[in-house]
Parts: sequence; structure tokens; C-alpha cells
Amino acid sequence: MNESGNTPAPSTNSILITFSSLILPGLGQFLLKKRQRGLVIFLAALISVYLIDWSLVHQNIGKVTLGGWVTSWLWLPLILFWIWNVMDARALLEARTFNIFPGLACIAVILYVIAWNVTDVKLNRLVERFNDARTVSTNLLNPDVITISINGNDKICAWECMFTYVNDKLAGHPVQGPIRWSDNFLAIIGTIKDIPAPSWEVKLGLAQPGSNVKTFSSGTMLQTIAMGLMATIFSTIIAIPVSFLAAHNIMSRVRGGTIIYYLARGILNIVRAVDTIVWGLIVIVWVGLGSFAGVIALTIHSVAALGKLFSEEIEHIDPGPVEAVTATGANLIQTIRYAIIPQITPSFLAYSLLRWDINMRSATVIGFVAGGGIGFFVVETVRMGGYQQYATALWAVVIVIVLVDYISAKWRESILKDQPQKVQTAKRPFFNNLRLAFYVILGALVFIYCWNLSGISLKDLFNPGSNFGQLVKDFVTIDLSSDVLKPVIQQMIVTIFQAFLATTLGAIAALPFSFLAAKNLTGRSRLSAWIYYATRAMLNLLRSIEALLYVVIFIFWVGIGPFAGMLALAVTSFALIGKLFSEAIENIDAGPIEAVNATGANRLQTIVYAVLPQIVPPFVSYLIYQWDINIRMATIIGFAGGGGIGLTLTTFFGSLEYHKAGTVVACIVIVVALMDFASARLRQALI
Amino acid sequence: MLRVENLTKVYPNGTQALKNVSFEVKDGEFLAVIGLSGSGKSTLLRCINRLIEPTSGKIYWNDQDVTAASAGEMRKIRRQIGMVFQQFNLVKRSSVLSNVLTGRLGYVNTFSSSLHLFSSEDWKRAAASLEQVGLADKAQVRADSLSGGQQQRVGIARALMQDPKLILADEPVASLDPVLAHSILKYLEQLNKERGITVLCSLHFLDLVHRYATSAIALKGGELVFQGLPKQIDDAQFKAIYGQEAERVSII
Repeated sequence: MNESGNTPAPSTNSILITFSSLILPGLGQFLLKKRQRGLVIFLAALISVYLIDWSLVHQNIGKVTLGGWVTSWLWLPLILFWIWNVMDARALLEARTFNIFPGLACIAVILYVIAWNVTDVKLNRLVERFNDARTVSTNLLNPDVITISINGNDKICAWECMFTYVNDKLAGHPVQGPIRWSDNFLAIIGTIKDIPAPSWEVKLGLAQPGSNVKTFSSGTMLQTIAMGLMATIFSTIIAIPVSFLAAHNIMSRVRGGTIIYYLARGILNIVRAVDTIVWGLIVIVWVGLGSFAGVIALTIHSVAALGKLFSEEIEHIDPGPVEAVTATGANLIQTIRYAIIPQITPSFLAYSLLRWDINMRSATVIGFVAGGGIGFFVVETVRMGGYQQYATALWAVVIVIVLVDYISAKWRESILKDQPQKVQTAKRPFFNNLRLAFYVILGALVFIYCWNLSGISLKDLFNPGSNFGQLVKDFVTIDLSSDVLKPVIQQMIVTIFQAFLATTLGAIAALPFSFLAAKNLTGRSRLSAWIYYATRAMLNLLRSIEALLYVVIFIFWVGIGPFAGMLALAVTSFALIGKLFSEAIENIDAGPIEAVNATGANRLQTIVYAVLPQIVPPFVSYLIYQWDINIRMATIIGFAGGGGIGLTLTTFFGSLEYHKAGTVVACIVIVVALMDFASARLRQALI
Repeated sequence: MLRVENLTKVYPNGTQALKNVSFEVKDGEFLAVIGLSGSGKSTLLRCINRLIEPTSGKIYWNDQDVTAASAGEMRKIRRQIGMVFQQFNLVKRSSVLSNVLTGRLGYVNTFSSSLHLFSSEDWKRAAASLEQVGLADKAQVRADSLSGGQQQRVGIARALMQDPKLILADEPVASLDPVLAHSILKYLEQLNKERGITVLCSLHFLDLVHRYATSAIALKGGELVFQGLPKQIDDAQFKAIYGQEAERVSII
């Protein structure tokens, strides 16, 4: 007693801190003014307790029976975490830092065990059903492009058959039979058909009434391209005025503008949190199935995404010119015209091009729910088990997306390059005007063609379907009763864990490849340069295919369910993480490496002290970013049989239970928005 | 003692950065290396600790041939030679203390240092080095939160951890505000005078050379064009080194 009286402050403090961390994890840290650390520890413990209990009750995960007492062994790592937390608080008291890895490891064990079980990982299926996988991959490598007719029987003529055919032809042997483009290929690309003459041709006297004319009828891939293009044009046009409403530096100049600003930002965030594919479900209630529904869904999501990007661009402009133009006595409209628009035009164009790339990717899968485009074609062919037909579509998608990706990137680069533009003072030469006119006419023709191809119908737009009123009413009064909310939350947890596991698997697979795809590490010898290009090409090819298209492959291999969806997400994560990681490696600053080298450090020491500190924070930040993306993607993979909340959503939509569907959508919005916020904050803290 | 004999460096792209450069630095000297940008100053300093491999010529450090040293010998040579860089070359995301500790890597074993384990002596040495450059209170903050002048002082503390006999300073003040130049160079001068550390320092401003250096060499287009005392650089010498167009400027 006397001793503690002599040194009162430290020991009472020590007991107090130990005790508070013991009763509430993180409280001790919180009291020691390490507020963030305390909060994170508290949340980690809270979430773990919920998840362990939930997974035991609903899924029997970690179930053990101890003398008739049923419990979960997952409480064990949580107890270890608890102990770690107390030790951490005591270390903080002595102003030391305690190693965080034991704490992280405990939480990781809990999360991965639950993730592994709820996503229904069955590794044995990967092996047992390997023959199915081989069938799929053989089919995917032999797409249905050419048909050969042998004795009047049509057959798919894949590589082997084509090889024989060409060989026979070259050697002068008789071939097995005549070949032609397959119906499947023509359905994707397009074909020339005899159709009744359209009325305008008859009116112009170009065709007889009732006669047939040869017309090019576009295939589903062309329709997809048209959908992506139209959605990009529409969303850019709509997003421009919207972005001004969501820009703080503009709205704060107008009376009552701040309210409009918050309103606009809020709406944009909510709309953005709902994936394009989910919008597709809602839009078809309004305008009915078809490519037009796809265009609207793409446009809605794009307006929100572009609106946010545009408004941030407006907020970050140089205030100097605005000040100068305002000082001349110009009003708001004039200021926007002369001080703001010239500053934002290039980046707006660049963002639109970026969005074009994204829209094209979404357009390939929007048909899964909305109909139209190559996505609808895929659903139809896969339903009939036509994997060779599906393969043709997949290759068409890869080629188009890789091309679009390349064009969009090059175009953006040339727009954003800071080139001083030549100012034309003299009258434009005649041929220049002619060329301009040519481009305008060409653009207009493409626009009209795409307008028709993507089935845009203003009539449908202003005549909402009969169920749409019901949908709006039900979405406002969503069903929050526990028998709806419980399964929805359950599926949401599955979805989050699918994303979590997919991110982990993708990252583990991507790590070695990211080093091969980093230009500063490879490319010294010819062989390593080839490895670099091959790795880059592989990552780009894999990245050009949307997760939904992968799901279709994986359900054939491992069966319908969350495991297939998780694998599909893992493949897309692998491709994107590989790209992001390799870029992080390429951005390493050589200075510290030189400095550490100069101290006499060897190679391993140089890596630990100069390379790792530079790449670990961006790697972790990209992982969080990928998890964020994967949660969005995981909400829709259920539409193709990938499990998770997407399945619940389609079921409710299919049975017209819109008040329940509304609950799901609300749940998605909340989770995605929370993740978005949390991941942005975490990444900010890391970089 | 450092002796450089007929040092030549030709880069793979054909640029001849150093042509037949020979000179000697006695222990305890503060040698300034002057010359225009691109005259070969950085290449010269980096050849001495072989961050850049010389094409031909010899470098002797205390009579040991640096150019012929094996990887293991090079590690032992490098740890005696501290280096300070124009761009500081700190690991920006790591803490100041962690950056300073990297100066000890040439001495400690690979395994334990890979786990970030240092002896308590090294921790004390790091604290003392930071104390020396007046940054004891900044040990735990991230390197990129410091100002340029403070970052360069961390760079000096890192070099001090090596217990160096020689410090190579590559334009240590060129990225700093002129007013901060003296504060950095004073630290180097102090190490030179109090601990007898030899300093090789490339500098832009001639008045800094006059103020701090005990001897000087000048490079022009990769060739040694002057060797002597700083005060021997008169107007004629100045024009020979920097070209006819050059004007003397001074800072502060």
C-alpha cells in the first residue's frame, strides 16, 4: 500500500487502463488518446463477436460440443485478440508500440474461416469436376465461327477442321465439304438479309412497295457497341449541367446553393452505389425488356459516376482566372463561360472517354437482365448449353474491349498532354472546313445508326409500364419486417465475404505476376522483355471480360452457388490487382535504393529497407480498393448463378415483390456507400 | 587517404562523363568539387563508392583498390563512406528513426535486420545522431512530413550512423533554400573539423566553396581543369571552368 502510495499515478493508471481494455476492447487505447486505434480495435472485436455468433447459429460454422455445451471454436482466436488488445494498451502506457501482427492474425483467422464456409468453398469440386472444366476450356478454345457442310450435314469447323481444310486446299486434295461463316458468328457480327423494303425507300421510289431489299442486319456485338456509345453520349450531355449543381465552388456563389449542392451530391452517391445491372432490373419495369432498357440503365449509372468526377474537376480548377474574370464585372454565366469552361473541357472529354471504356464493358453484360446486346445472346446460348457458341461471343467481347480500351487510353493521353494549341488568326483554309463537314456528317450518320440499332424509343420512355407505379410506391414503403430483413442481411454477409475471399485469392495470385509486369524490373534482356509483354497481355485480356461472363464458365465447373461467383471475382481481381501492383512497383523512387545501397547494405537489406516501405502502403491501399469494387460486383454475380444478394434480388423482382426488392436495394446502397466511405478514409490514411 | 587514378566513365549510350581524372584527397580535407551541371561531378562521387561502375582507372581508399573489391569487400568499404544526396533520398513513408537506422545496415547481419531488429547500441547511436543534427524530437514522424532542410539533416544523421571516415556529399544544398545552405554545410564542416571526417562535396556556388572548403577540384566536360586551394580560383580560372558567359553570383 505504501509503495503504491509513493508512485501513485503510473500504477493506478496501469490498473485502470488494463481493466478498461479488458472490459471493452480498445477502451484503454481510447483513454490513452490513441482514439483511432481504440476505435478500430473496438469495431474489430464487435464485428467478430457478431459474426462468430451469426455463423454458429445460421451456418453451424466452427461448431464444437464441449460436454453437451454447443459453442464455436472461433471464440478462441477472439480471446487471443482480447489478450493482445490488453497487452497493446499496456505497451501504449509505457509509450512503446506493440506489434500489431498477432492481433491482425487473430482477426484474420476468424474472418477467413467464416469466409471459407459461407462462400461454400469446395476445393474437391475443382478436382472432381476437372473433366467438366476440360470440356469447357476445349469449347472455349474452339469457338463456333465457321460451319462446314459434310454430305449435307452442317458441323462446326474449329481449328483442327480448318487446318485439315486449308491443308487439303493447298495440296489440291478434294476438301471434306464447302465451308461458310456459321449462323452463330453472323448472329454476333451481322448479316445481309432480304427484308421488306422500308417505307422511306418506297416513298423515295427506290423500291417497289412490298418488294424485298438486301439490307445489312447488325449482330448482337454491333448492337452492344451502339448501346455503349449512346449511353456515353447521353450521360455526358446530362452530367454536365448536373455536375455544376454538385460543385461546391459554384453553388456557394448562388443563394440557397449549398442545399442544392448537398442534395445533388447525395443523389449522385446513392445512384452510383446501385450497380448498372441492378438499374437494369428497375428500368425494364419502366420500358420493358430490350436494348433500350440497357441504354437507360447504363446512362443512369454513368450520369452519377460522371457527375461526381465532373463536379470534382470543377472544384479543383485554378481560382485565379475565375477571380480575374469576376473582377472585370462579369456575371455568373459569363464567368463559367470564360473562366471555367476553358479549364475543364479537356478533362471532361478525358473522363467521358474513360466512361466510354467502362460503359462498353457494362454493355456486354447488361443483357443478362435487361435484354439486348451480346449479354442477352450469351444467356440464350448458355441456357441451351452452347459453350462453343458462347466462346465466339467471348472472343468478340475480348477483341472489342481490348480495342476500345486502347483507343480510349490513347485518345485520353493526347487530350491531356499539355500541348500549346495553335491559335488560328487567319481565315480557315477551305479544305479544313470540308474536312470538318465530313466529320460532322460522319458523326451524325453513326449517331443515327446507333440510335436505331440500340432501339431507342421515346414513346416507351414516356409511357412507363403498368407496374412501374407500383414499383415506385413499394420502393418508398420498403418491407423492413424481420422475416425479409434477416435473409437479406444473411445474403449481404455472404456477398461481403465473397468479395473478401476473392480479393485475397486474386492478390495472392497476382503478386508474382505483378513483378513480371513491372517495366523497371523486367525488360533488360530480350527474354525478360518478352515475359513482360506476355504478362501484360494476359492481364489485359483477362481484365477485358466482365465477372458475369466468368460466372457462366465457373458454374459449369463447380456448380451454381457462391463458390462459382467468388472464383469469377477472383479472376477479375487477379487481372486488376496485377495491373495496379505492377504500376506501384514501376513508381518506386530510385533515390532511397541508391542511398541504402551506399551504406553498404546488401540486396535483401535494400529490399527490406528501401523497396518494401515504398510498395507495401500502395499495395494495401489497392487491396482495399479492390475489395470495395468486388463488393459492388458481388451484388450482381448472383444474376448469372454466382450466389449472394444478386440471387435474392432477382427472385424478388421476378415474383413482383417490389417492396422486398426495395429492401435489398436499400441494403446494397447502405453497404456499398459505407464501404466506399471507409475504404476512401483508410486509403487516405495509408498513402 | 583517397587516391583516384585515370578514372574514366563512358555510359552505355556513349556519353563520356569522366575523362582520365586523377587526384588525391588527404585525410581530414574538405574538398569541394565544382563545375557546371553535367560536368561529371555526380558520376565522380558515385564512382568512388561504386554506385556507378567506372569504365577504367583505379580508385584507392586507404591503399585498398576499390575498383577491384569483391561484393563482400565493397560492403566493408561502403560502410566507411557516408553519402548525402541532393534529393535527400529518404524513404518518405518510413519514420525518421527508421531512415536513420538504415545507415547501420552495412554493419548488422542480414537476417535480424530484415526483421527490423537492431541492437540497443544502434538505437542509442541513432538517437545520438539525430541529437547531433538537432532533430531528436522528430524521431517518430514520417520522413515526408519534414521540411527540405530537416530532411537533409536526417540524411546527414543517416551517414553518421555509418561512423564514416569519408562523406560524399552530392550537391547537398542544391535543392534547398539558399538560407538553409549554410546550416547544412555547417554540420558537414563541424564533422570535418571535430571528428576529422574527410568530406568530398560538390557545390554550385563559389562563395560557399570559399567559405567551407580547404581545397577544390573543378571538372569541365568530364575533365579535371583545376586542382588547388579555393582562393586560387581567380577570374581567369573562373571563366575557364564555367565558360566566358558566366558571371559570379553570391548567396547571402
